Amino acid sequence: MSPVVGIIANPVSARDIRRVVSHAGNLQITDRANILLRILAGLAATGVHKVVMMPENAGIYGHLRRALARAINNGEARFPELQLLEMKVTGQAGDSATAARMMRNMDVGAIIVLGGDGTHRVVVSESGDIPIAGVSTGTNNAFPEMREPTITGLAVGLAVMGAVPASVAFVDNKRLEVAINGRQEVALVDVAIVREQFVGARAIWKPESLCELFVTFGAASSIGLSSIVGLLAPVERQAPFGRRVVFADPRHAPFRLSAPVAPGLIEEVGIERVETVPVDTPMSLTVGSGSIALDGEREITFSDSDRIHVTLRNTAFRTIDVPVCMSFAASGGLFLDSTKQAPTASLARSHQLGE
Amino acid sequence: MKMTKNPFPVSKDQLLEAYRIMRTIREFEERLHTDFARGDIPGFVHLYAGEEASAAGIMMHLNDNDRIASTHRGHGHCIAKGVSVKEMMAEIYGKATGACRGKGGSMHIADLSKGMMGANGILGAGAPLACGAALAAQKLGHKGVGISFVGDGASNQGMFLESLNLAAVWNLPVIFVVENNGYAESTSVEWAVASDSYVDRATGFGMPGITVDGTDFFAVYEAAGEVIKRARDGGGPSLLECKMIRFYGHFEGDAQTYRGKNEVEDIRANKDCIKTFQARVKEAGVIAQAELEQIDRQVLDLIEQSVVEAKAAPPPAPADLLTDVYVAY
Repeated sequence: MSPVVGIIANPVSARDIRRVVSHAGNLQITDRANILLRILAGLAATGVHKVVMMPENAGIYGHLRRALARAINNGEARFPELQLLEMKVTGQAGDSATAARMMRNMDVGAIIVLGGDGTHRVVVSESGDIPIAGVSTGTNNAFPEMREPTITGLAVGLAVMGAVPASVAFVDNKRLEVAINGRQEVALVDVAIVREQFVGARAIWKPESLCELFVTFGAASSIGLSSIVGLLAPVERQAPFGRRVVFADPRHAPFRLSAPVAPGLIEEVGIERVETVPVDTPMSLTVGSGSIALDGEREITFSDSDRIHVTLRNTAFRTIDVPVCMSFAASGGLFLDSTKQAPTASLARSHQLGE
Repeated sequence: MKMTKNPFPVSKDQLLEAYRIMRTIREFEERLHTDFARGDIPGFVHLYAGEEASAAGIMMHLNDNDRIASTHRGHGHCIAKGVSVKEMMAEIYGKATGACRGKGGSMHIADLSKGMMGANGILGAGAPLACGAALAAQKLGHKGVGISFVGDGASNQGMFLESLNLAAVWNLPVIFVVENNGYAESTSVEWAVASDSYVDRATGFGMPGITVDGTDFFAVYEAAGEVIKRARDGGGPSLLECKMIRFYGHFEGDAQTYRGKNEVEDIRANKDCIKTFQARVKEAGVIAQAELEQIDRQVLDLIEQSVVEAKAAPPPAPADLLTDVYVAY
């Protein structure tokens, strides 16, 4: 039986205040549906026959249904069979968690996630050992890379069908775990401690509210809070450590840094110090009250009476390495028609001759 | 209880004021629910109970130069915009002391001195009015804004969509607030709204749209502050969708057979915006329970007094039938 692939596309992602405060993009429902159709085409081309998807009431499935019906009526086999999970739709981010849990219980081959860092975080909190492939459609996209979804569909299909071996297709990732009085939350890119003791509109866009920051990785080319680490002391996704930044009032800070803390928002932050965060070592906070932002969104408020630790974990979950899968497929001629002779020999010869 | 530094984006006085507004709306509506069932009130009433955080969170950013156009479910907007509670009650009771001299009733309460251009029985009809107010503010240069409230159902009306176009074309300082309580009368959003996304509609007209949890005062306050400031600064129109829940039916007397079993009990227990607000401010150690209870008592007294005065007031006289109807330019 061919493996089943799960898709989570939560329509509530990319709808927050950053569209006003920092000109972040709004990917329309119709375009999200189009992305899904391109993913489905990629999956079908690699032999995936069945896909399960998180249900939603915001119109994504309505668009899909039209395209799927048309393909079936035309006798085309462009898309796999699409089945919706049987779950209650709340129209909240929690739907992504419910769907991820159900997909893990079904033991799907992989979960493709549409969204930004926030949506991926919610999925990973419940997806266990199921490999994730991210398609960037959210606001803050340090975790999912920008890529044409057709290619993500192809790579996931190759991986789950076994055309690319697991040792090549899947990579391990770090994550941050936040323990609050015994309850646990996770973050894939960053945990920020901010002064405001309310969740409000969730997004963080005021640098003066930052107290400290933990990151799993940070690249100089990243967007969001992790760019602060990227511009000071970059850490790669697979490095066995993370970083912590302690902020200070820019007027008195030892040094100041301008960083792209959100899409369209380059702000100056005051830096007290930067430290390396080892794995499996619970770390306490330097402030007694405020709120905790996970991957760019305020989620939890806390005060002096709460016991909080942040711990970096290595090999916490797996993702599908799309470029590696596609390179493997290319070098192995997986997309070539095996009944015909490969053209590569003549190409190599003409290159050698300098033609 | 230990009192700590205020971690909220508003002062303690403003927090108390926000609570007073939300509590006043709630008690006003609860009282109407009772009095309407008893047959004391003429006409229809559509209650705003459960949706208070939206009106309070938005209106706290406004002044009397800012004008709002409300809906058929307008009591909350009126109270939050500063219309006299006693005049509102008298109006709903159809008395000559009412905000519109007892001739408008629930769906036509207005007070231009407070920037409240009126509740509106015609769905979607507030949107062009808010555009007009915004155009006036733009021409007069006083930095005022127009706010159009609209429900999820009325947002399908042509008038509303034409207003989005007009506001974008003229770069008007107007904010379209879609109060999405999930039902257009009894029809669920999923059945009646193409593409189901109000934010996408805004994008289609070239303005930003954002969605917030309309049951969270702080989420609404923060988001509304940004879109209103944007409009005052010349940044043009935007759309704010507040996802919310109504405690009662579309109108009083609605049997609500379209709602799930225990749906209302569940939201009253878990998604009550006033309970959430109380928990937050007490947990942060900024406001004590006794301070909230004092406001509760004052609000109940005000509502009771409003009803007593409304009942005692005279109805409009037959001679007043044609006054306040026509305006000479």
